[in-house]
Amino acid sequence: MSGKAPLDYQLNTSFGNKRPTLSKVLIDPILVFSLLTLLVFGLFVLFSASGQLTSMVFRQSIYIVIGLLLMFIISRLDQSVYKSFLMHFFWLGLILLIWVLLFPAEGYKTDRWINLGFISFQPSEVLRLLLPLAAASYLTRNQRRPSVKDWCIILSAILVSSFLIYKQPDLGTSLIVLASGCIPVFLAGFPLLTLFILIALILISSPFLWANLSPYMQQRVITLFNPESDLLGAGWNISQSKTAIGSGGFMGKGYLDGTQSQLDFIPESHSDFIFSVIGEEFGFLGIILLFLVYGIILYRVFKIAFNSSTEFSRLTVSSIGFVFLIYILINVSMTVGTLPVVGVPLPLISQGGTSVLMHLVAFGFVLSMKRRQTW
Amino acid sequence: MSEFLNLDREGKAQKQLQKRSVFLFLLVSVFGIVTLFQLVKLTIIDSTLYTTLSDENRIIRVPIYPSRGLIKLSNDEIVTENIVSQALTMVPAKTQDMEKILRELRADLLIDDKQLLALKEKIINKPSSYERVVIVENLSPEQIAKFSVEKDKWPNLSIEARLMRFNLLGPLFSHVLGYVGQINLEEIEDSKDFAYPLSFLTGKTGVEKFYEEDMRGGVGYKTIEVDVNGKEIRELNRVVPNKGRDVYLTLDKELQKLARKELTGRKGAVVALDPNTGFIKALVSSPDFNPNILNKTESGDLETIFNDLNSPLFNRAISGNYPPASTIKPFIGLLGLKEGEIDWNTTIEDKGFFQLNEDGRKYRGWKEDGHGMVNLSKSIIVSSDVFFYQLAVQLTVDRIATFLKQFGFGLKTGVDLYAEVEGILPDRKWKLGAIGESWFVGDTLNMGIGQGYISCTPLQLAVAISSIATRGKIYKPKVVAKIGEEYIEKELIFEISSIKQTDWAKLESSMVSVISDWRGTAYNLAEIAENKIAGKTGTAQIKSLTDEELTVREEYEDVRQEESNRDHALFVGYGPVPEPELTVVVIVENGESGSAVAAPIAQKLIDNYLSRNN
Repeated sequence: MSGKAPLDYQLNTSFGNKRPTLSKVLIDPILVFSLLTLLVFGLFVLFSASGQLTSMVFRQSIYIVIGLLLMFIISRLDQSVYKSFLMHFFWLGLILLIWVLLFPAEGYKTDRWINLGFISFQPSEVLRLLLPLAAASYLTRNQRRPSVKDWCIILSAILVSSFLIYKQPDLGTSLIVLASGCIPVFLAGFPLLTLFILIALILISSPFLWANLSPYMQQRVITLFNPESDLLGAGWNISQSKTAIGSGGFMGKGYLDGTQSQLDFIPESHSDFIFSVIGEEFGFLGIILLFLVYGIILYRVFKIAFNSSTEFSRLTVSSIGFVFLIYILINVSMTVGTLPVVGVPLPLISQGGTSVLMHLVAFGFVLSMKRRQTW
Repeated sequence: MSEFLNLDREGKAQKQLQKRSVFLFLLVSVFGIVTLFQLVKLTIIDSTLYTTLSDENRIIRVPIYPSRGLIKLSNDEIVTENIVSQALTMVPAKTQDMEKILRELRADLLIDDKQLLALKEKIINKPSSYERVVIVENLSPEQIAKFSVEKDKWPNLSIEARLMRFNLLGPLFSHVLGYVGQINLEEIEDSKDFAYPLSFLTGKTGVEKFYEEDMRGGVGYKTIEVDVNGKEIRELNRVVPNKGRDVYLTLDKELQKLARKELTGRKGAVVALDPNTGFIKALVSSPDFNPNILNKTESGDLETIFNDLNSPLFNRAISGNYPPASTIKPFIGLLGLKEGEIDWNTTIEDKGFFQLNEDGRKYRGWKEDGHGMVNLSKSIIVSSDVFFYQLAVQLTVDRIATFLKQFGFGLKTGVDLYAEVEGILPDRKWKLGAIGESWFVGDTLNMGIGQGYISCTPLQLAVAISSIATRGKIYKPKVVAKIGEEYIEKELIFEISSIKQTDWAKLESSMVSVISDWRGTAYNLAEIAENKIAGKTGTAQIKSLTDEELTVREEYEDVRQEESNRDHALFVGYGPVPEPELTVVVIVENGESGSAVAAPIAQKLIDNYLSRNN
């Protein structure tokens, strides 16, 4: 990656560029190459995690190609093109959520939906990336500080979305959608005093909330703290995942040599628990290298955010960066047993078309806003 | 102006965004550090532990059991072999919803509740839940077909071929061979050098039990890798098991068949052995059973076998206690000679009863009006009770007990079968302990004719009688002649040297006369006998004639209407004379007459044996 630094430098210094350079086409080569590295690595891991199913890798590759195309197209756009209507994507997400709630059976069972990869929780997958974009767009739609009315509208939108997802029922995703929505709100300067009051209110009402959780959800949280209590039941996932990562040790067992992964001991090893496969086969060293790539991506994203000239792009890009960071953190934490299993895929690596597509779309916006900086 | 204000606001907003970003980043980092520390803990600090856990998940050491040694006859004919049976097995540790699986199996494969209950118990008692447990044995072809069609429903179940025991000759050698059954926890604890799995079959009685260690061989192992369903993925290594050794019986199939045929429909036992080696040629206890039913290789009702009032599982030949009755007389006579109490010419008058003093109680002989003038030889031939009453009194219980012990009475013979009993050789001390009374002279009288407290097994009697044939040499009886390639030697356990050769010879000729002399108790054999044999009849009383209320003969006849009150018929003998090759003891419970019932069986056995061995 360091080899690309002169190009980047050249990009910032050369004014009258006569021929299209790599920097011009890719906008941020370091970011793009990091993403590509991650995607290719992810396909290799997926091959191992899926029990060496080439069909699954092929399917995922198609989504990646589509995602990269979308990313490229979006990165060509000027932010003025989408800034005004990005907030309206929220309505699209909301319609999908209500659709799923109203017609769960049809939505789940129709062949067309399955063939397209749209399964029941898919709208929430779309929403948890659309919501921060829509929120950032809404909060910076004019050059004023957001009014009380603005805060109320945006908070209502976030709460309604997460409540609809909670009703699916999917507590984990609803909390993540809530968090992703709140990030731009917090970054945009939500009054701190009101924030503290809200947090206090949530803390006070938490016992009441706990009582209202379904026993299934309660069990999931309880299991986190004592997974050994029920080895064949709820604790199985966490315990097998920890065993996989722990047995990988520092150097890992080697690609395709992870016994926990290859012998199906890790449940959902291709999706939510793909990090366990990485830990087992590539070891602590592999994990650190993975974190390094994620780190480079995050560094580039935040660099773009802080160097942006418009409030809209600063807020949007930093929100995208935080959502990305939180995804990684939640996924890794749940596979090592420091957070409950809430069903968050590892960004750009876990199997799942919508997830990859949405992340690449988000990076398309990031690149588009970087492009603006060069002007 | 407004543009300037706007720029100012935007600068403030940018600073606020950066400040809040840093704050949010720090907040997230707190969680990040916790997770990072957990990662370090898992992969570096506790890595060894998790490596072990991961290996335990997938690596299973599966014992490989050698095929059990076969049981053969000395001519290499196979008596007991291993046959393959299909059993349905399961790994309990990999089974998440046991109840559901059992329910499904009951419905789909028609497994009955009793089997399922036993299975649950087995799983609870299991030391390692990674070992396969047998759910159903001997699957029928229909059950196998049904399972094969639906096996995707139960990934942790599989059909395994198991070796079962099958006796080719069915019930013929039942009491010698015994049977095998599922091992119990006690047996597992007792066997330190052989790791039995819970589903293993182990010998429960007979040769199957006595030669268990030789026949089972040594366990091998294979280390295999399994997937989450317990399915074998590949083999990692293998230690080949040591094959079990074959066991060769001393028994003679034809003789055994004949003995079994003769006892059919009766209760009793036949023991035939080679007096020169102690090798048993026939051992029958009647009624017997089909060991294949107990081995579960033939269908049949186990309950019927276990609940049969005639106790077919009871090995009368080594566990049955019978009074030796008149068959004890040759030994009492020998003792009289040895002690100088009598010689071959000593004669007394047998008037049909014996009195200790003039007007004392009358001890009756079996013949109401007596045998007249009798010496030792005639007393054996006609089986005079009165002669031996007299002799026993002179010898006293102490000398009789000491002497009989030399022939093995009151001692286990040490035969290579389980469940042998030692019988009863009473003396003063024994009676005081067991009955709580002191010894009476009357007890000595009874002992002199083999009645009263004294009892022995048919096998003990065969060993004792053989010593007459061998002139005092007592060999340990054996049913196995060869283990693997190793021949079993005959084993001399005692030699009686205090008897003069002439006395042995004269005793033998008296016993020959039991059959050949017209007065002999087994003169009925003379007609059918192909070979010259020495023998002695016996009739063991169940209800004693000396009982006060039974002195009247009519009452005695009444009592005998009840079959179980009828006397046991005994015959002991060996042949040919000289140079005996086979000793035979026949006991027919409630057979009444030793001469009419027991003796012909013995003669037939000896004749049959000799006709094939000469």
